[in-house]
Amino acid sequence: MLDIRGLSKRFGYGKGEVTALHEVSFKIAEGEFFTLLGPSGCGKTTLLRLIAGFTGPSGGSLVLDGKDIAAMPPNQRPVNTVFQSYALFPHMTVGQNVAFALEAQGRPKSEIDPAIDKMLTLVQLLHLKNRKSSELSGGQQQRVALARALVAKPRILLLDEPLSALDMKLRKDMQIELKRLQRETGLTFIFVTHDQEEALTMSDRIAVMSGGRVQQIATPRELYDRPANRFVAGFIGESNFLSATAKGGVVEVARARIALPDVADGAVTLMIRPEHVVLSANAPDVLQLEATVAQLVFFGTDTHVHLVLSDGEKLVARVQNALHGGQTLNEGERITISLPAKALRVVRDEEIAA
Amino acid sequence: MTKRSFDVTKLPGTAVMAVACFVILYVPMAILVGYSFNSGNVIGNWEGVSLRWYGAALHNQAFLDAAINSLILATTASVISTVFATMAALATTRTDRFRGEGTIHIILNQPLMVPEIVLAIALLIIIGQIKQATGYTGLGFLIAAHTTFCIPFAYLPIRARLEGMDLSLETAAADLYASRFYTFRRVTLPLLAPGILSGFMLAFVVSLDDLVMSDFLKSPGQDTLPTYLMSELKRNLTSEIYAISSLLLLLSVLIVAGSWVATRKKD
Amino acid sequence: MSGPETWRRWALALPAVVVIMLFSILPLGVVLVYSLLTPGDFGNVKWIFSTDGWFSVLFERNIFDDTIGLSGANLGILFRSIVLSIVTTLITLIFGLPTAWFIATRPPAQRNFWLFLITIPFWTNLLVRTIAVQEMIRSEGVFNRILLAVGIIKEPIQMMFSDFAVLLGMTYVFLPLMVLPVYAAIEKFDFRLAEASYDLYASRFFCLRRVILPLIRPGVIAGSILVFVPSLGAYVTPRVMGGGKSMMLGNLIDLQFGQGRNWPLGAALSITLTALVLIALIWYTRITSGRKEQSHD
Repeated sequence: MLDIRGLSKRFGYGKGEVTALHEVSFKIAEGEFFTLLGPSGCGKTTLLRLIAGFTGPSGGSLVLDGKDIAAMPPNQRPVNTVFQSYALFPHMTVGQNVAFALEAQGRPKSEIDPAIDKMLTLVQLLHLKNRKSSELSGGQQQRVALARALVAKPRILLLDEPLSALDMKLRKDMQIELKRLQRETGLTFIFVTHDQEEALTMSDRIAVMSGGRVQQIATPRELYDRPANRFVAGFIGESNFLSATAKGGVVEVARARIALPDVADGAVTLMIRPEHVVLSANAPDVLQLEATVAQLVFFGTDTHVHLVLSDGEKLVARVQNALHGGQTLNEGERITISLPAKALRVVRDEEIAA
Repeated sequence: MTKRSFDVTKLPGTAVMAVACFVILYVPMAILVGYSFNSGNVIGNWEGVSLRWYGAALHNQAFLDAAINSLILATTASVISTVFATMAALATTRTDRFRGEGTIHIILNQPLMVPEIVLAIALLIIIGQIKQATGYTGLGFLIAAHTTFCIPFAYLPIRARLEGMDLSLETAAADLYASRFYTFRRVTLPLLAPGILSGFMLAFVVSLDDLVMSDFLKSPGQDTLPTYLMSELKRNLTSEIYAISSLLLLLSVLIVAGSWVATRKKD
Repeated sequence: MSGPETWRRWALALPAVVVIMLFSILPLGVVLVYSLLTPGDFGNVKWIFSTDGWFSVLFERNIFDDTIGLSGANLGILFRSIVLSIVTTLITLIFGLPTAWFIATRPPAQRNFWLFLITIPFWTNLLVRTIAVQEMIRSEGVFNRILLAVGIIKEPIQMMFSDFAVLLGMTYVFLPLMVLPVYAAIEKFDFRLAEASYDLYASRFFCLRRVILPLIRPGVIAGSILVFVPSLGAYVTPRVMGGGKSMMLGNLIDLQFGQGRNWPLGAALSITLTALVLIALIWYTRITSGRKEQSHD
């Protein structure tokens, strides 16, 4: 229901001009939990503000429910935002904050009061209705900001890194909360974050962004298993990259070979996730390499095994401690490792520039 | 082509009213300055450009005497009040509560809370008695009066500056064997200097500007610029008034510009 | 705090305290005393206790039939002082608020220029500025000349020496005093809150009313006090603009020490004026400290 077509944004002019967004195009469906993911400066916040209406696009169009809303001021768009700083009105109570959008629209009191109560119940803050918003904890403020943005039943809810100010435990709880809310209300959420783990756990689809461009849009699973390029592969989850050469369907790395059909000739980058690296000589269809154990790092549930290949390239393997029962590896030890063909991905180096 | 962004800082009508406000503020003053160059005799009858009124003012002994009086008064009063205010600020800032602190505070701010006319007649009464008793009619009374109302004006910026200063610097100095006085001289004072300068300038301008107090307390021959201007206004309506006013206006512009430059540099 | 430390603090503050006590606080006490004495024949006082001074503030004795009535003249002046001060405060607020908003919302580079512009009148001699206003509206002044030249009027309009003139004068000279505190408050305003309000469908006016104004209220109150108090005790501006026709409390007091030759009355009036100002200041402190507990960063 949101159709972004060739949307671009430039700031400044002349020599100082900066392009924050390079002609971005994609669609978001109704009821989706859609995430914009990327490092700072990638353009995700700019895109969010364009959708909210606080900035105008330099080019392209923004179509919501079939109407171009690029020229519509924010106070007329059926799009509400949960701000990173929450932006709760400090001089109003929780209840008054939540009521704000409805009052601004001129709804009658008889309609507003039950709506507030319903929304506060949804975020479990009904008992704080008359508390001043400045007297709440971070987590509570965040939920008020949510309730405030949801009460007017917007077509889209925008969330600008809303969990970044919370501590770890609270963050995890809120992630579950948000997901639940989205399911219950059935609204379309557009979530902005730089935390890939957060994006993976919560989203229906993720748009990975970098340098003002969308690198890949896919479900979390797809992004993890089939990253479109090196950036996405490196940004989502952990990954190992190996430089290799391909010729006639055969890829060579550190004097080892594996048959990978459909790979174009020339220099390629192979990617494999640490948990797929097998620490023994194994069955057919693997890339078998000699490596030295450089370092073992204990991580509670896993151990990270840092390896160095014969040609100097580095690799990290992840082994579940429960499965190994004890230290069977020593630093400095020489072992053979296997990289299964089906776990190997060929990734493009260049980022998408379309 | 950038479509115009939604500006959260925009409120319809404010720009128009603000500009109108500035125009309203400056037009009368501009006209005043303009008329000071009037070569005509009758005030307001424009006849041509001339500097004659400035010349007249500068040759007017009464005006010059008043100007000198104002300068002496302002300088003396602001120096004394700034020194006293600095001491008072050091005494009352960045300290744990001590007995009588609140009282000192109220006393220091008291002249600001009383209308000037009231202070003027209060001093008129007392100084009248002293004049009768001692026969002294020198500038001392005016200096005392000006110093009194200048103290709060000097106190406020100094105190503000002092409160914003980092206490740890003086602690560091003490750690490095500096005596109290040495610390004050080499650490506190230099850092406090901008505040003291602000306070001094504020006191200076306030003293220079004063009409009420000076008018009530002066003895013959002790006109200050404002009191001279006032008496000329009542008596003699020539463009000389506008010339003098323009000179005072220029002085204000120079002081404001000077303090702006000073604060840019200090930062 | 230890004994010697307290002494040291007091010693530092002593010069300032002594000066103010001698030349500001003590004299006020003398005024209070004088308000309870009898007027001398040629001014000054006779050291005879009398409550006439206080009596004459509001009442007057009819010399013919010895009845006591309200002093129309004095009450009129008292009333005028309060009303004109309130109106001046309102007008400076109406003009000052948009001006402060304008300055505070300029880009930082430009802002200094506008601040510079508003600061100059602030620092310019009060008398000079009053003279400037006077030139505009006096009979041979700018307005009348223009209107005469254009032919709209045949004779100059008398605007000086009236309540209108005094109001105009006070509004003009006190306007910068309103702008600066309001500007300071707007500068501290978190515009993200305005953004949030627009995100939630507020119109510009709704945002102004429900978000902006409540949060800049401390600045508005500070500005109001900064205008109201000097207006109440104004002397120079009403003297120049109002002459003897439109006197305010300050001029009335002045009169008693000049032609009026009634020092006790003058003293009583002074105490009255001081009391009015103190009431306004106390009200201000009460309002702002109440808010202070509730304001948060």
